[in-house]
Amino acid sequence: MVLRFPSETVNEPITYTLIREHNVLINILNADISHGKEGQLLIEMAGREEDVNEAMVYLESRQVGISPVVKTILFNEAPCVHCGACVSVCFHGALEMDAQTRKLQFSPEKCVACELCIRACPLRLFELNFGVN
Amino acid sequence: MAVRKSFQEINDKIKRGEAVVLTAEEVAAMGQDHSPAEVAEKVDVVTTATFGPMCSSGMFINTGHADPPIRMERATLNGVPVFTGIAAVDLYIGATENHPDNPAYGGAHIIEDLISGRDVELNASAKGTDCYPRKSIRTTINRDNINEMMMFNPRNAYQNYPVAVNRSNRIKYTYMGSLLPRLGNANYSTSGELSPLINDPELRTIGMGTSIFLGGTTGYVSWYGTQFRTDAELNEYGVPVSNAATLAVIGDASRMSPGFIKAAYYEKYGVSMFVGIGIPIPVLDEELAARVMIRNEQITTSILDYGHPGHPEVGRTDYRTLMSGEIVLEGKKIKTASLSSLYKAREIAGILKKQLQEGSFLLTEPVMAFPRGKGLNSMDIRI
Ligand code: SF4
Ligand code: SF4
Repeated sequence: MVLRFPSETVNEPITYTLIREHNVLINILNADISHGKEGQLLIEMAGREEDVNEAMVYLESRQVGISPVVKTILFNEAPCVHCGACVSVCFHGALEMDAQTRKLQFSPEKCVACELCIRACPLRLFELNFGVN
Repeated sequence: MAVRKSFQEINDKIKRGEAVVLTAEEVAAMGQDHSPAEVAEKVDVVTTATFGPMCSSGMFINTGHADPPIRMERATLNGVPVFTGIAAVDLYIGATENHPDNPAYGGAHIIEDLISGRDVELNASAKGTDCYPRKSIRTTINRDNINEMMMFNPRNAYQNYPVAVNRSNRIKYTYMGSLLPRLGNANYSTSGELSPLINDPELRTIGMGTSIFLGGTTGYVSWYGTQFRTDAELNEYGVPVSNAATLAVIGDASRMSPGFIKAAYYEKYGVSMFVGIGIPIPVLDEELAARVMIRNEQITTSILDYGHPGHPEVGRTDYRTLMSGEIVLEGKKIKTASLSSLYKAREIAGILKKQLQEGSFLLTEPVMAFPRGKGLNSMDIRI
């Protein structure tokens, strides 16, 4: 999930409190926080159900926004050479060659973020992105 | 009377801006309702092209001498080892050489950096001699502060190439891309009817000295390529059904463009380099006209199983089927993908066509024809 900290709470030891006082396990995957500004933290949280629920109540009391995460694939289209190596590993029709122009067509709405194209592209043009729903 | 044109006659037409030039795809379409005699009558030159990963590629550079000078014995560019076993400051950057700590970065990336005009860091060492006293050097080099950048690729432009599938139960990471288990996908790597050596399968017009489009500038065929063979099985249209002839090519890389030379990394295989090549084929007579009219459905290629040792042949198909996005093998529909870019190949064939129409590109008659009846040795393990 993604936690969004308002600027007032950015300096509080919130993750510390979560771990110490609510007995949940926190795995920080990505952090975008700087002193005195609004910040974001991408985390995984695990623990007993009641602990997790209490942790959520605590976060809400500190005005921390909570959103579930969606994995999406980012495609850096400009350098693409339209070779098609990614097409044969995409089983959801998100990557297709236009039969006429032979240019790669990426349809993000069909992508299920299976990540197979990331390694298949010889130019490394796909990237996994953790976004907020 | 049968049409017969010489290189000279066609070049005169090109110079006058009167040559009729078509791409190989256009002439294949024209062939549907024209005879070879009519095509030979109407068309002077056909442009062919390919843009695919070609591992057997690299570039010689000469860095210029420092003061005091060094005779480089070990050298790296951005950490990638380069070959120093020639004169003091001549280096060969092999496209597939990789960085010892980063398998996804290698010689092809250095070549692309130099072509793009970016700085790369040179580190070199030597024992020091009376005439070359310096023992080490560290500096940055780029396209504008070194002497030559000669791309020399010992094997490019394969005439046909087999399709790769995987009948094993595990994913295979190969130079033919990621091959999914149990016939999960099929990868091929030829531009079909646009492919250079398929349009002149006997290499009547392509030989040493042929001017070509190479990486965005004019280059030359310098020799026949390594693993060149002419004894491959032919189909009914005279096209080899697997890899056969190859070309060694040379060109001034300082005039090339990163749009036509691109570093590539294939997962768990290594670094390779996309090379853009275009070859003009003069339609000298009816015989050649019949060759350049070839269509995707007339070009057969074999299907090899990369999931088993020795890559056994498991079937045959043609480029029309491959380009439709699906082939059927052992009763199973398999998704196909190309590793070479038809989009870029068309772009190159189009550029070459325009240059020939404008008179800015002239044909060169080969100064030496390539061998016929040449087979291939495999390695004899003797020790
Ligand atoms: S992540 Fe999977 S579904 Fe999405 S584009 Fe890549 S291969 Fe297709
Ligand atoms: S594999 Fe990469 S370069 Fe090739 S078509 Fe797909 S995105 Fe483009």
